[in-house]
Amino acid sequence: MSLKQRLVPYWLLGPGLLWLVVFFVVPMYFMGELALRSGSLTTGYTFDWAWSNFPDSLSGHTEQISRSFFYAGTATILALLIAYPLAYAIAFRAGRFKLLLLFAVIAPFFTTYLIRTIAWKTILSDDSPIVGVLQTLALVPPDGRVLATSGAVIAGLTYNFLPFMILPLYANLERLDLRLIEAAKDLYSSSRQAFLKVTLPLTMPGIVAGVLLTFIPAFGDYINAQLLGGTQQAMVGNVIQSLYLNQRNYPEAAALSFLMMALILAVVTIYIRFAGTGAFMGDEDEEAAR
Amino acid sequence: MGAGETSVRKRALAVALTICAIVLSLGVAACGDDTVGGGGNSDEVTTAKGGPVSGDLAISNWPGYMDPGSNNTVAQFEKETGVSVDYIEDVNENEAFFGKMQPQLEQGESGGRSIFIVTDWMAKQMYDLGYLQEIDHGELPTVFENIRPQLEDVSFDPGRKFSVPWVSGMGGIWVDTAKAPEIRSVNDLFDPKYKGKVTMLSELRETVPLVMLAEGIDPIEASNEDWLNAIDRIKEAADSGQIRRFTGNDYTEDLTAGNIVAAIGWSGDASIVENENAEWRMPAEGCALWSDNMVIPVGAPNTGAAYGWMNFIYEPEVNAPLAEYITYIPPVEGVQDLVEPELAKDPLVFPSPEFTRNCTDQDSPPDLEPVNEAWQEVITG
Repeated sequence: MSLKQRLVPYWLLGPGLLWLVVFFVVPMYFMGELALRSGSLTTGYTFDWAWSNFPDSLSGHTEQISRSFFYAGTATILALLIAYPLAYAIAFRAGRFKLLLLFAVIAPFFTTYLIRTIAWKTILSDDSPIVGVLQTLALVPPDGRVLATSGAVIAGLTYNFLPFMILPLYANLERLDLRLIEAAKDLYSSSRQAFLKVTLPLTMPGIVAGVLLTFIPAFGDYINAQLLGGTQQAMVGNVIQSLYLNQRNYPEAAALSFLMMALILAVVTIYIRFAGTGAFMGDEDEEAAR
Repeated sequence: MGAGETSVRKRALAVALTICAIVLSLGVAACGDDTVGGGGNSDEVTTAKGGPVSGDLAISNWPGYMDPGSNNTVAQFEKETGVSVDYIEDVNENEAFFGKMQPQLEQGESGGRSIFIVTDWMAKQMYDLGYLQEIDHGELPTVFENIRPQLEDVSFDPGRKFSVPWVSGMGGIWVDTAKAPEIRSVNDLFDPKYKGKVTMLSELRETVPLVMLAEGIDPIEASNEDWLNAIDRIKEAADSGQIRRFTGNDYTEDLTAGNIVAAIGWSGDASIVENENAEWRMPAEGCALWSDNMVIPVGAPNTGAAYGWMNFIYEPEVNAPLAEYITYIPPVEGVQDLVEPELAKDPLVFPSPEFTRNCTDQDSPPDLEPVNEAWQEVITG
């Protein structure tokens, strides 16, 4: 191979690498550097290897962190339970309405996130018909409310991140070879067995992608907790916002952000290990071979 | 091929690592162990220079602080002076606006803006950090001829060295009179009868002084202990579910939707509370008075036009339509005689000294950091 030929891969790598360096490595570096500073707004923040920022940023915030896990986890499971049948129906049962239904899934998201979340405040306000119905059905106590509760925050998260679950699932289901299900049935499997042994394993890549795309942003979200939550619903995103904007504790805010990234990375790694790298990489052959 | 591929990968990795290393060392060289923040300019406070009222002028103000329409106050100023105004409504919260501007202000830049409008304590914070220029009273004849006497000398800025009020307002209680007609004191907000039906403002300097006033403590004289005690009381109420939410301006939505019976809120918000039973009440123990002020940041371009704008706003004839739209307290003497008679009688827009006799100025706690930390723990409970 000539030198020129050998350099080609690097040139091809160039744009992506540059992107990563400029928009990932450099910001990470500055964030890491900020996390190791100490001081206040009036004295200035001096770099002095202040590792104590990391434990300090966790102290007193463990409740919000575990709450974030619980909210984001519940929202992800709910989104999966809603999205799977929906994506399945769109992929296989919608016929000529397929595109229309897909559009219906995406259309609300042409409106900004904030406006949609604020709209839920109106829909779920204490005197609204919906809350009235829920009270009649005894799902909400007679003098109870929906807004400013954990339920409202989880519902908001589920709603806001639902498309991130539906779209990968749909893309995956759409490519599913229906003949495989036929074959399963020819071999005397029940519909349930065919689903569990053929459809579900083959759609694992979609599920894994959907779960990641839903869980990660939901974990760091603070808008839903702020708008739909009350006094006991703050998530870790709200804590970081408060540290940064209200307390001007830039180093601790950066440290907490770092720790949350590490935490998410660990959780995601375990999850991918558990769900199978093949599934994550979309390696269907490997999946099918199992 | 397999072996070749591995070596290509290794080299790619090597290149990537080299680039990273270069970038990192650049970063280290660029920032070293210097200090970020700290108001490096505080030693050399400058006074904004006067000059011709012409050219471009960028102003950052809060939403809802400018009458709409193609012939509004901004348009009139442009017509009269030939100045081209970039009127930006990007101050939604003092803290968030400060967070946005701080890195530029630290460099002595104002982001092209010549005027910010911020609340008293934020103006003081910016001034103390060296982010503001002082104003030259000689350049502001109209302002200091027409300013209401009560505003001429204020605790956060004695002698008005760096701030000119835009409007003033009162922090007190909004009550849904159909649901809770008997609420008259901030203490009533802690009545278990209204559990989950009460909101408070998430801003430390709005809510905590009102609670202290209700307990008979003068917020201006209050010790850190007093602040922390009041915060404890609020924390208990938040933990028990007595307080539904901590809000910004959005308490008006909860009030409109009927989610709450009372809220700590501002006197001038009648136009955005669409609930005919809702009314703002002066708390029995007094209110918290504040102003949003025009300030000139460091590095502000065209300060001559900024002075021109301030003088223009302080013409009673100019300020009257503005006051009718904003419905907060105008800082300009003589506006009361020029507005609609209905508004001129409104004690929330033209409060008499008798009406505000128990009120206090907004102030920060003696030692902000621990108090703010305790407060933020309540807000992000």
